[in-house]
Amino acid sequence: MADPRSQVSASVPQKPLGFSASEGTTIEMDPMEYTLRKRLPRKLPKRRNDVYINMKTDFKAQLARCQKLLDGGAGHREICIHGLGLAINRAINIALQLQAFSQGALQLAANTSTVELIDDLEPDDPDEAGEPLTRTRNNSAIHIKVFYPSA
Amino acid sequence: NDLLSRVFLPRGELTYVRRQSSTSATNMTESQNACSTKAGQGGLRKISSTGEPSPCPIPGVGPGVLEMRVKEGSKIRNILGFAMSRLQGEGHVVPVTQVVFTGMGRAITKTITCAEIVKRKVRGLHQVSKLQYRTVREVWQSQEDEEVQMTVLKNVPAIYILLSKEPLDPQELGYQSPAETGSSLEEQKSGDATEVSGKRPLSPTIKCNFQVI
Repeated sequence: MADPRSQVSASVPQKPLGFSASEGTTIEMDPMEYTLRKRLPRKLPKRRNDVYINMKTDFKAQLARCQKLLDGGAGHREICIHGLGLAINRAINIALQLQAFSQGALQLAANTSTVELIDDLEPDDPDEAGEPLTRTRNNSAIHIKVFYPSA
Repeated sequence: NDLLSRVFLPRGELTYVRRQSSTSATNMTESQNACSTKAGQGGLRKISSTGEPSPCPIPGVGPGVLEMRVKEGSKIRNILGFAMSRLQGEGHVVPVTQVVFTGMGRAITKTITCAEIVKRKVRGLHQVSKLQYRTVREVWQSQEDEEVQMTVLKNVPAIYILLSKEPLDPQELGYQSPAETGSSLEEQKSGDATEVSGKRPLSPTIKCNFQVI
């Protein structure tokens, strides 16, 4: 399947899935097997100077890419580094490294946000008329503007 | 005979200060986990790890501010339970107006999550976020000879998030206004609502099955 969504096998336990049913009435979940599919995060705008950090690409490659954007022929005065979830650490690391290499010429402005992510729960057995479920969860994100102050 | 060597690493700068030279610790490998590999071979053990005191990078934060130091193992419910009770002034204490969440290394994600949840629960908070390296001093000791010690200075990324009920300087780097927080969340919610209703239909695989039948 040419679907880029990551797939995690999971059997759903009996407990209600995050939908905390109101007034004590719990949703009855049959112990059917579901496949948990994590949808990709909502597509975000991508300018030339936006860098989305992930955990699959090599750290050095991502650092080099940012460095190139800042001092290459493109010569952006500012770039924006985004990191979501586990990649927050790496995004911060890259931003701090860029600042350290610039000997203080670069400045950082960090913003945090929350991103809503959607998971799909698909029944493993398509014959059983199980309803495909979705659930949403939140994850933290960081957006770091790395720029040369306009002096 | 003190030896001092410096190793530059992509993630930060390590400074090794060896108090006494010993045969087991003569080779300094240039890798981040030099210590852990050596722990297996030479029998070095980490005996202490302390963060060097560093000034808070956010200007205008007095000593009276509530500082929440988020660690890797901290439970979010504990942190939030305490921070929220202080912010809302439960009991007989006067509610605080400013909270700083700080975390370093692997606790950064948790720190941001805490700040984000507080922002959602308490409306109208102004925010300033700062990033910087903090120095951690680790002392490693040989298991064979307790005289042999090695001090490692590590630079670890850290985050400081100030949440304030009082307005903050909008020119400050890393400032986020309460409107920004609120609007971005609502925007996200409305966007998600449309997206969910649009994408909720059956997944491609199941659709395929129905077409075949």
